[in-house]
Formats: sequence, structure tokens, C-alpha cells
Amino acid sequence: MKLDEHEVNEIALESRLVLTEQELAGAVRYINNFLDMLDRFKELDLKDVEPFSFAEALECPLRPDTVISFPATQAILDESEHVDGPYFKVPRIVEAE
Amino acid sequence: MELYELNLNDVIEGLKAKRFSPSELYASCKQRIDTCEPNIHAFITRTDDTQPQTGNDGGIFAGVPTVLKDNLCTKGIRTTAASRILGDWKPPYDATAWKYLREAGAVLMGKVNMDEFAMGSTCGNSAFGPTHNPHDISRVPGGSSGGSAAAVSAGYVPFSLGSDTGGSIRQPASFCGVYGFKPTYGMVSRYGLISYGSSLDQIGPFARTVRDLQLVMSVLAQYDPMDSSCFREKNPDFTHREDVSLKGKRVALVKEFQDFTLDAPIAEAMTRTRKVLEDEGAIIAEVSLPVVARYAVACYYALAMSEAHTNLERYDGVRYGYTVTDAAGVKEMFERVRSYGFGSEVKSRIIAGTCLTEPSRCDEYYVAATKVRTLIAQEFARAFGETDYILQPVTPSLPHRIGEEDEDEMKVYETDLYTLPVNLAGLPGLSFFTGYAGNLPVGLQLIGPRWSDSGLLDAGVILERHLGSPKIANGGI
Repeated sequence: MKLDEHEVNEIALESRLVLTEQELAGAVRYINNFLDMLDRFKELDLKDVEPFSFAEALECPLRPDTVISFPATQAILDESEHVDGPYFKVPRIVEAE
Repeated sequence: MELYELNLNDVIEGLKAKRFSPSELYASCKQRIDTCEPNIHAFITRTDDTQPQTGNDGGIFAGVPTVLKDNLCTKGIRTTAASRILGDWKPPYDATAWKYLREAGAVLMGKVNMDEFAMGSTCGNSAFGPTHNPHDISRVPGGSSGGSAAAVSAGYVPFSLGSDTGGSIRQPASFCGVYGFKPTYGMVSRYGLISYGSSLDQIGPFARTVRDLQLVMSVLAQYDPMDSSCFREKNPDFTHREDVSLKGKRVALVKEFQDFTLDAPIAEAMTRTRKVLEDEGAIIAEVSLPVVARYAVACYYALAMSEAHTNLERYDGVRYGYTVTDAAGVKEMFERVRSYGFGSEVKSRIIAGTCLTEPSRCDEYYVAATKVRTLIAQEFARAFGETDYILQPVTPSLPHRIGEEDEDEMKVYETDLYTLPVNLAGLPGLSFFTGYAGNLPVGLQLIGPRWSDSGLLDAGVILERHLGSPKIANGGI
């Protein structure tokens, strides 16, 4: 086993996921099986291989640098319950002790 | 013949000739949906409760009903990606692919089911319950675009859209007995497609004839400045031609795949299709793809999960979707929203993606996978120097019964070997109908080099002529 329950739980919390006991047991099994599958990469000599970036050379396309009005601002805000005027408002970042 | 049974080209011709009206067509499709939907459960959101106006009365699809996979944004219409976390989110804009169809006059009947965030191959990983295969409602329709395939198969609509990150158009097309096309990466704009693995995702159509796929592709394949991976100046020509030929074309089988076991009807379909190709004058060859055969599945899942973990970071309950309003702080809010909002498969993949991209493991797994992807793309480039197309299965087996999935996820992932390499190399792939084994359809796959999309569909026209077109499924009736 490459990762134990504690390590997988720490990774889940980094992803802002709180797992139940049952979910954690499933996640540990899943991650370890998956990492075993990825061990196949060790059979290959990848030292001089370039990482893949895109299937062919592509010049980065640029749009004109001009301001475009977006007419649906209110529609965006209407989808949130965390709105204060024209802004999103999140709960406090630094939580009380 | 009922109007809902007509294929896309026949629908358009009938509407033009005024043999029937858009309202009559709409009513026929709606009636078909009302009849079959209790058995199939393809929809997440129906929009056919009121007769909508067509987007463009003079457009090529004026009055033609369609459905969209529910990861394509539709302005003002609920879009869920089959996840609780998006709640009743109504996007403020249309996906470009849908915008093109709407401007061409297509009429939206609704948004259809999928595996949550396109992660799965059964259409069972959905917060809205599973979709059933219209040919045998005890079986899965495939996934992740299972709703899109089932809707076309059952005669709800003559065509639909799905998305394909590792086979999510081609596999359900095969399971449901329709044609499905995954275009070259960069051919169709991804703007407004809810992201899963952005370097792999591609939108494409389902239909009941290859000629219908050509027509939909002629509308979808347009440059879009809103997607930076969308190519300019490719100008593909998807015009349907009857005089196409495979004479002298090289079609290869993959040497390494010959040792793998296939369900008997799929092996038999390979033999029959090979004979059709030979009779049409194609030269059957063999190519070797050893890196693909051994490493593509691991490479794909490493990259897809890494990209998914990044793409899904945005779901935090602040701006849209499911949320809580009584959290003490932002950390608690994010944890409560994400822990409740995501389903188990999505959580597993997010955790795996986080694990692979952590600084301590990144080189060993994520960076290694990007290098293996380079080898896979190079291997395909070499193979397409020796052959025009590659013929291969879509899956090693026919659709299983709902609830009978293998509990070993890695074994399930291995069955994606025939579809996901196409996404890793950004290639086009056509899933085509070959016949029936009992009541279940059997599909195969033809893939080509990048930008060979129109030639691939021409080849599909020839295959359909010899192998026959699929019939509409009974829809559990």
C-alpha cells in the first residue's frame, strides 16, 4: 500500500472534501489501485521525452484587446445566494477561534 | 411511418417540401418521448412543455427537434452536468455548439442525462438516476453521453449532441445502435462545454445515419474565437457525396489488440467489416501501437484526473449551484458544499488528481503521463504514415445489465482502451453500426489522422451502405 488512510484523508481535505469512514476506505483502495496501474510508467525511459503540450504547433490566438460589455451581469448575480450589491460576498476567510 | 421515425435529412427534406409542418413533427417527437421516457429516463430537464419558437425559420435545421447533453450550457435553461453541485444553475450564455444549432433553427426538446461531469461509461453515475438502453431497458446505454445516444436511438429526436473525453460519444453510440462522431480536437468549439479534461474534451453529434452526422458537422465545425484551442482556416467540407470510394485506401488493424479477448459478436463484426472493406477495394494492413496498448489507459486516467481536479476547483458554492448559508467561515462552506455536492466517482477522481499533482509526486506521475502522451501521439503519427484509417472495436463487450458493473474500477477503466487513445492524440473517431446480436446493436470504430474528419465520414457512408442502417429501438414498449 502506497498511501494510508491518514494520507488519503489529508489529500481529500486539500481538495475541500470531508469523507465519511466508508468513503475514506473506498478512496484508499481506489488510490492505491490507481497508483499501482501508474507504476507501468517506470518501464519506460522518459528522460529525454518532451512533455505533451498540444497535438500540433498552434500559435496562441489573441482576441483584440478591447472592452466588451457583458449584458447578463444580473443573470450571473441572480444565480448566487452570496451577493451584496453588484459583488459576491464570501464568508469570512479567517475563521473565529 | 410516424414522423419521429424520420432521419435528419428526411426531416429537413419533408419540412422544405411542406409534406408536414414543424408543429406536426414536434408533436410526433413529443408523443414518442411521452410514451418511452418512463422506461428510458433519458432526460434531466424537458423543455418541450410549450411549443418554442425556432431560432431561424430559414436555417438549415429550421423546426428540427434536438436534445443536448447536460454539460452544454443553455442560456436561461437549467444545466447540471448530472451533479447535485450545480443545483438549478441557469447559465447566462449558450455553448457555441448549441448557438450554431439554434441559429440554424434547431428546436431544443431538453437536456439529457450523463455520468456526473462526464466521468463514467454507464450513464449511471448521475445524480438524477440511470438512463436505460432503449434496445433492452435492463441494460446500460453507455456513457457518459448515454442520454444523447438513447434519445436518438429511441426516436425522440433525429440528432443530438454529446461530448467525448475518452470515448463518451463513441461508446454509447455503439451500445445504443446509432452513429456517433468524435471530431478532431480543435474542430468544434468547446466554449460553454462544462470542463472535465480540457485537453481531451470534444463535442460531437449522434444520428441514425452517417449522412446526418455530416450535416450536423457542417454546422458545428466553425472557428470560434472564444475557444483558444479551436483552429482557424481548416474549412472542412462535410458535403455528402454518393460517389466516394475506398479503393486503394489502407485500413489497418492494430497488431497488439489482436491478442485481446472480444465478445463473439464484436469479433464477428470485425471480420464482417474487414470483408466489406476488402470488397470495396481497401487494402487491409496492420500497424503496431505497443505504447498505446500498454500505457494509454494509465496515461489517460492520470491526465484526465489531474485536469478534472483543477477544473472542478471552481465548484465552491459561492457563485452558482448548491450552497449553504450558515457556514462559520469559507473553509467550512467549501467543505460542506463539495462533500455533499459531488458524487462518489467524482470525489475519487478529484482526490486522485490532487494526489498526482502534488509537488512530491508530480514528476513521478503527472509529468510522466504527459511524456507518455507524447510517445502515444508520435506512435499514432507514425502509424498514419503507413495507413489511412485504423479499424478497431469500441469496447470489448456488449452493454451489461444495470447494476452489474465490475466493482474493480481499474478493470472498468481498462475496457476504455479502444476509445481513449484517440483523445490522447486529438484524433477523430467514428463509431458505426454493424448489425445486431439478438436485440443488442454491435458497433465498431474507424479512426483517422488529425483533420481527416470528412474522409472518415465518407468511409462511414460506404460502411453504412453495406452493413445497413440501424432501426429505431423499441424503447421498452
